[in-house]
Parts: sequence; C-alpha cells; structure tokens
Amino acid sequence: MRRYFPVGFSLLFIFVVATIVYIQKNKKINTDTPTELLSKIEKRHSCARTGKFFVTKGITQPITIDLSQKYYKGIVLYYGREGKEVYHPKSWERFEHFSTYAVDKKGNLFLVPMPYISIRSTTFNLLSNLYKIDTDTGELSIFMHFDDIKASPNNPYGLNAIAYDCEDDTLWVSAIDESTYDVQKGVIYHVDPKQKKILQRFEGYDVLSLAVAKTDKGKFLFFGSARDSGLYGIKIENANLVGKPQKLFAIENPEEHIRKIKIRANNKLEIQTIPFTYTLIAESGKKDRIFYEVEYHSAKWHIHKL
Amino acid sequence: MKKEMKISMGILILGAVILTIYWFSPSPDEVHESTIVDEQIILPQYESSMYQNVPEVQEYIADIKQMIKEGNSVLPLQNNELDANAKKVQNLLLKNEAFLKDTKEAGKLLHNDMMRIVPTILSSLDASTQKICNTHSCYQAEKYNFVTNATTRAIVDVDEMKVVSLQHYPQMQADISLRLTHIAQAIALHAPEVQKELGTIPFKKDMSMANVRGSLKDSPCENKEHLCVAPTFADHQKEQALWAVVDLTELKLAAAKWAGLGKTTTPACISERSLQNRYIMKNFCQKDTVLKKDGWEIIYRLTGSDGLEIHHVRFKGKEVLTSAKIVDWHVSYKQKGAESLDTTTETYIEGRRVDFVRGEDGDYLFGYNDAMGCPMFSTSVVLAFNGPQVKELPDHDGFMLTQDYRNPKWPMACNYRYENRFEFYHDGSFRVVGVNKGRGCGDNAIYRPVMRIDMAVDKKENFYVKTEASWEQWTQEQMQKVEKNEETYPYKITSSSDKEKGYYIEPNHGQFNDASRGDNATLFVTKFNASEGEQDMLTLGSCCDLNDDGVERYLKRPENIDASNIVLWYVPRIRNDTRKGHEYCWADSTIGEDGNIKVNIWPCTVGPKFVPILKAK
Repeated sequence: MRRYFPVGFSLLFIFVVATIVYIQKNKKINTDTPTELLSKIEKRHSCARTGKFFVTKGITQPITIDLSQKYYKGIVLYYGREGKEVYHPKSWERFEHFSTYAVDKKGNLFLVPMPYISIRSTTFNLLSNLYKIDTDTGELSIFMHFDDIKASPNNPYGLNAIAYDCEDDTLWVSAIDESTYDVQKGVIYHVDPKQKKILQRFEGYDVLSLAVAKTDKGKFLFFGSARDSGLYGIKIENANLVGKPQKLFAIENPEEHIRKIKIRANNKLEIQTIPFTYTLIAESGKKDRIFYEVEYHSAKWHIHKL
Repeated sequence: MKKEMKISMGILILGAVILTIYWFSPSPDEVHESTIVDEQIILPQYESSMYQNVPEVQEYIADIKQMIKEGNSVLPLQNNELDANAKKVQNLLLKNEAFLKDTKEAGKLLHNDMMRIVPTILSSLDASTQKICNTHSCYQAEKYNFVTNATTRAIVDVDEMKVVSLQHYPQMQADISLRLTHIAQAIALHAPEVQKELGTIPFKKDMSMANVRGSLKDSPCENKEHLCVAPTFADHQKEQALWAVVDLTELKLAAAKWAGLGKTTTPACISERSLQNRYIMKNFCQKDTVLKKDGWEIIYRLTGSDGLEIHHVRFKGKEVLTSAKIVDWHVSYKQKGAESLDTTTETYIEGRRVDFVRGEDGDYLFGYNDAMGCPMFSTSVVLAFNGPQVKELPDHDGFMLTQDYRNPKWPMACNYRYENRFEFYHDGSFRVVGVNKGRGCGDNAIYRPVMRIDMAVDKKENFYVKTEASWEQWTQEQMQKVEKNEETYPYKITSSSDKEKGYYIEPNHGQFNDASRGDNATLFVTKFNASEGEQDMLTLGSCCDLNDDGVERYLKRPENIDASNIVLWYVPRIRNDTRKGHEYCWADSTIGEDGNIKVNIWPCTVGPKFVPILKAK
C-alpha cells in the first residue's frame, strides 16, 4: 500500500487545489454581481423644503411642479386645493425649456435645461447652464455655466439630469453633449452649490436620470442610461464616485430608457422610461412614458409594468 | 525513479496545467461578452411587390380579396388548424355581431384574420368565466384587425355554443396562425437579401420561427402598427443568427439583422424602425460614401439637418460640384382671421412649434421649418428612412441618388414626407431635385425647399443671366424671380477664364415629364462664405413670410462676385392641391379592395437641371 502513497497524495493535493481555485474563481465572479453590492436599498425621507417665496406669493399647498411644456413654456407651478391656480411669471420663460429639477433643504429649486422641438440661435448656449429658482425671491437665474458643455446640431443635448444629496448638500448633474453614435462620452458632475464648484468630473457614461440611494453597502448614485434600458449603480465614497458603474437591472425592451428614478420604499423603486435617440422628437410626451415598479427581493429584481 | 513517483508527477503536472487553463478561461459572463458579434443590419433593396409572386402570398391575397368581395371581413382559419369544436366556434363567431363589431369602418370592410381557436387554459380566465369553464368545455378564439392593429378575444362555451366573454385589445397583436407562419417563412426564404447574406438559397429546415412572444403582447419586431415576426437562420459555428424581420401587414421583408446567439444580443423587441435607425447611423450619417457610376464619381452622406448632401462630385475626372443639398423645407398655410390671432403663447402641432406671420387683408400665415436629417443625434423632425438608394432614371439616360425622409406618422395629417434626389445623366448633366409627398395639414399649403448648390466649375467663377440679345454678367450678389419664358437656359455659370467651361441652368417649368407644375423659384447668387451653409445649417429664415426665403440675409450687404467662388441658392415655391383628380403634393390613405390600408401619393417634383455648356452646343 505504501508504494501508492505518492499517487494518492498527488490526487488529494490536486483535489484540494482545484477546490480552492474553483471557490476563488467563483468568488471573483460574485463580487462583480451587482445585486450582491446592493442587497438593500433604503427609503429615506426627503429633506426638500418648499420655497419660502411660496408664502410671500400666496402659493398654497398642494403644489405641482410641471415641466411638461404642454401649456406653459419652461416651468409652471399649479397650486390650490384643486390644483388649478397657476404661478408662472413671464420671466421664467427666458431660459426656454427644462427637463427635470431637484429641491434642496432650503427650498431652492435647481433645474436642468432641455432642447424642445425648435432650436433657436440661443438654444445651444442655454443647454450649458444649471438654473436656480431662489427660495427667497422666486427669481429664476443661471446658477452655474459649464464651459465644457457644448450642444450642437449633431447632438442637441447638454445638461440633462440632476439629483440632490441631502446628506452633504451637494448636487449631481450630468451632460451628454460630447457623445456621438459610436462613442459614449457623457459626464457626471459632482457640484458643491455653496461654492459653485465642480468637485468631481466622472466621464464615459451617458446618463438620462440620476438618484442618490442609501443601501446597506453604503451610498450609491443610481442612473438610467441613455444608451440602453439599464439602471446602473456606482458607489459614492468620501463624496466621490469610485469604481465602475454596475448594471442593476434592465427593462426588457432595449428601446426604453430610464428617465426618472424614485425610491418609493425599502427595496422598491418606481421608474419611468421614454424612447430616446438624441433627437428632439416626442421625448417627453406622456403617451411615450412607461411606468414600472421595481422590487428587489429573493436575490432578484422584479419588474412590473404599471 | 519509481513508476509510482512518475505517475504522481504526471498527475501533478497535468492537474496544474488543467487548473491554470481553468483559472484563466473566461467566466460564463465573460464568454457571453466575447461572443457578441458586431451587429449588422440589412435593409430591403428590392421592391416589396416582388413578394406578391410568392405562391403562399399570392394565394393568401386572392383569398382576402375573395372574402371582401363576398362581404366578409374575417379570413377564417383553415381546417388543418381546427379540431371539431374549434370549427363550430369559428362558425359561431363569424356570425357574431359583437365579435365582428370592429371589422367595418365608414362602410368599408377591414381585413381581419382569425389567428387561433384553442381550448382555454382555466388559469388565464377571470373568475366568472372560470366558473363556467370549470364545468363546460370552453374555447378561446382570437382575431387580428390589420387596419386598426387590434386583437379581439372571445371565450366560447362549446357545450352551450355561447360567447361567454369578449375582450377588445387596441394596439395589441395575437399569436399568428399557422398559415401566416408559413407565409412569413416563405417571404424570408424568397428574400434576395436573406439569400445573399446566407450565401445560399435556404431551405425551410434551416429556419426556426420566432413567433410573437406571447399571447396579446407586442410582437418582437413591432412597427407599432404592423404585425411582424422574425424567422431566424442560425449559424451555430459562427455563433450568430440571421433574423429576417417579416412584416405581415405589408407582406414583405422589413429588415434583417445578424446577431449573436447569446441572449443579450437576441433582437427581441427591436422594431423595424430601430433597426433602420441603427443601419442609417452606422453607414451614412456624417460618414462619406463614394459612388462611381457611368463616369460620375460622387461622395455623399446624410447630414444632421440638411438632408442628403453630395460633395466633391466629378464627371469623367473633372470637378462639377463642391456641394449640393436641401437645407430646409419652409411650410406655410394661409388662414383668415389675423385680427383675433393670439401669439402670446407658443403653439405646437404634432410635436412641432408653429410660427405665425400676419399678412394682408386680415390673412395670416402659419407653419413650420422642416429640417431633414439623421434619425438619431440630430435636430431634425423629418427623418431618413432606409438608406440612400441608387436607381436608374425612367428614360435610361442616367441614374439617380435618392433619399427618403418622413415624419414617422406620415401620411397622417400634419406629417410630411420628402425625397432628396440628385439625377446624373450620361452626357454630364445633373439635376438637383426635391420631391414633396404630402400630406401636410391642409389644402392651402405653400412649400419652399431651400436648395444650396456650390458649383466647382473653377476656383474663379462668373454668373450670367440671359437678356434679350446677350448674356449679362452679375457682378454683385443678388436674387431674381425665375420667370417662365422662351429661354431654355436663362442662366449660366462659367469659369472666369473660359466662358465655354461651365453649366447652363435649366429651371423646371414642367418639361421634365414628372408631372411637375414648375418651380416658380427664386434664384440667389452669393459669394462663398464658410459660415453660410458649408456646415449643417439650423433653420434658415421664416417658414411663413413669403417675402423671406431665408437667403436674403446673405444679400444685405451685397458683395462683389466677379471671378469668385459662387454659391447658388434655388428656392422653388409649390402650392399643394387636394381637389379630387388634381391632387398635387398630397397623400391620403383609403381602404383598398383587399380590406387593407392603401396609401395614395401625388408627389410634386421641383428643381433645376444643369447642362454642360459644351454639350448643349
């Protein structure tokens, strides 16, 4: 028997090494699995406050912020019990159209622009600005100009998405002006509104929507892609995006793109999708919007059309 | 060394090699990535009418026509798709008024197909129907309306021969019948594009049928309004498959696509439109293509907002054109009631901003500026459909390069379709052509395509207009209304050093045998300036001020154009006509004798011809 010991030993050795290799390799795969990174998403109460000018201008709750461009250019507030009262100073029209907004803890309302149907000689320049409606005065003004954002006839989009981080009072905004059909060159900017300063510039991803999310694995920036139907997450550490974005899930139809992300409850998101082709047509039409409820449980994302 | 030691060493070495290979081999996800093939999209190159010669299609169309002739509107399932109960159900439903409710429109019968009649699955029924079908034998029947793109589903209690449930699903498509499956397969097998891609004439056994994804869901290749399916030819060696997207509403190949066999590259849910967009973007948008034919050498590309542009065109080695394109279509409509016109808020129709201009006598004009361009990454609203195509001219004296632009909803009201066309003749002549195919918003439209033509006769060029006895040179930038007179060639552009080297300009007065009613154009002659249209232009001028074609802005301080690089701007003016029997720049859709939508087009064609001076002599 002793003479077979070397054979038995080498077989055992190989078995043990093979087991270790297998575990290590699969461990490597698992760390890349996005759902492992985000097993619990927390619903947090919004820190957003209503603008102080609402009181001085007699704008009473409930208030709806409307950017549909259906009846008014730019932004319009509907208020009052039946939501029929309108607040829309003509001065709010001078920066043309807006795509989405974020409200900070003081009630300042930040807006990102949008090209809508007709391009005028001034339109492209307006797409390089972040706008603010001041909480005290209700004045709409250019809050920051981004020199590196240059929309053009071959890609009429500039700044296009925004999210506010209640924890550190900062903004995340994104732009897709440099992207072409072949190359994704979108930029996510981390902005300190107090200093009007860009804290980080994260390149290479075309973003259509943004949301800050707290998870059991830390803080993440979620974004809907302008290129595919996926929702992505990237970790925020020390106020910086770190690593590569991971795809969390994708809507089945690759022609739908996630335009809005709302965290409705723990592990439950509501998302809205639109068709998006970097053109001006029908991008914000309500009939083109599809709503989904997305829930994470049993180690899977469950997507239901609403 | 002992034998056992040798075996042990062998095991260790072999094990180490295997584990090393395993460690560095790609993980399943990585394998998936690596097998993604470069997407290749093929658009139809042949007339769709060729499929009407396919026996399965021929027979199907004949059956539909016969059915409509007999006053029916639902093509029944054939016996091989029905069991005894299903036959009874079909007979019942084909006489059921509620089931047939949506099969007529304005007295016209609409083409419907019965898609399937099968025993019901209890779990898919609502509670009340489940109650009945628990104790009775029930069948589920589905019919599809090709005109309204709607599905009707009936649940029939076979024991009682009674319809117990009836649902109507607008914009939904049912699983297709076996007959339609065979038709789709036949179209895919006969498609020359498929045969060319596969490099062989395929057989039915080579194909798997991608049916609709499930009952009453959007079909995998939905054109939203059309019923489409995608038979597939798999090439397992290359790990890719050719998907032939077949449009069963129009009975044609809509598109084809090579895709990997991996699940993320399966083109489920990818619409024909999306395939088209990607094909056009990848091949023609902002990318040059060289066309060499009949002595002509032409570089062309699709622009973001200036339509199809040809540039650096040569004939028999000699330069002809630096660039030619249609930068805009001004569209305006005349209306009464200017006094009550409210322009304080912006107006949008069909997704476009409407401009208003007050006219005389209480009239006002409203309309749009339509830019034609690439379907993605552009500011255009009238988008390229299919890629540019090369076709023979009707008289076989040359060829044309043409590009179709449409609003996606054309021919619905307030949607437009334009064709950019360049005709090249064997004798060195060429013509810049704009074609309008309606439909627009009404019967009082005025269309003005703005053509920019930068000739390459010489570095220094002169422009002349024919007066009664002689040629008069224009030495300053200016414009002129092009009048119809006896002169075939009222203008010419020549080299400043050689008057024989150049082109006569022949405006269109309807002499080109294309049913045109003439250009009624205005001609502008300007000195080349890079900022005046060399690159893609945003909207130029007013849609609706008929005294402003847009080019006037370049004449405000007229420059000297003697011995200069000259640019011609040619702006035809077309009035549409919707009178029956006189239609012009118009389109409408009617229900044809086969119960399907038939689109009627009355195009209007404008644009000048350029004839070499030496040839004309």
